[in-house]
Amino acid sequence: MDLIVGGIFIYAGVIKAVAPLRFAIDIDNYKMLPWAIGVRLAFYLPWLELVCGIALILRFFYRGGLLILTALTFIFIAASIIAKVRGLDITCGCFGHTSKNWSFTAHLALDFAILITLIALWVSSRAQQREL
Amino acid sequence: MKVSAIRQALLLIALAFVPAIGEAIYFRDRVSWRSPDRSSEMVNLDQAQSWGANAIWVDARPDNEFEQGHVPGAIPLNEDRWNELLPTLLAQWSLEKKIVVYCSSQSCNASREVARRLRDEAGLKEVFVLQGGWETWLKSKR
Repeated sequence: MDLIVGGIFIYAGVIKAVAPLRFAIDIDNYKMLPWAIGVRLAFYLPWLELVCGIALILRFFYRGGLLILTALTFIFIAASIIAKVRGLDITCGCFGHTSKNWSFTAHLALDFAILITLIALWVSSRAQQREL
Repeated sequence: MKVSAIRQALLLIALAFVPAIGEAIYFRDRVSWRSPDRSSEMVNLDQAQSWGANAIWVDARPDNEFEQGHVPGAIPLNEDRWNELLPTLLAQWSLEKKIVVYCSSQSCNASREVARRLRDEAGLKEVFVLQGGWETWLKSKR
């Protein structure tokens, strides 16, 4: 499971890291942050996803990686719901423009599935730690 | 050595800064860091209209909005049908023409994205985003 979740975040990170300007516009679509912050996040967040995805696969700083990815996914879900409630047309998801044609429900279903898996991995890592 | 999850997270956060800063330095001249549009890439309605026949108007809104109304003579070009619609624009384009891209309002992003792709992918020069978009055009006609 670590491999799958880590791989998903590596893919999501790479796809956005290669086109940071596109991702900056995607972040700006949410109308939650000033452009100056959004554009800097567009350069940073893909690398954070990538680094954490690698951490999960290599099990190096595993729990730190899980913590960050869980927080990121939670924030992303909250931002998507807020944007939807505000009537904004959100054309991007956690996979940048690759997922721009997905419906909002499909976005949310995938994001919740990832969030639940991350929480499950967190719980299982805690249980393993207690056993040691 | 046991490192707490929070400490691990902080180290990963710091680690991600390294490639991010490198990429930001690489892109430093191609990014508008303070506002989404470089002022030189924006055009107001009066200026765009003053270009007359030298301007090609590009409508970046979805097809259904284009069908409901658009700037006279505008060419539809949205991301959903990019490959299909781009040749129509290229057929009308020539070196002396300026391209004015608009979407629904000041807050929409489609015109910026289409303008960016026209510059970066199609290699066109003199591509501008209309300030206020279709909303401003409509107001000017009332």
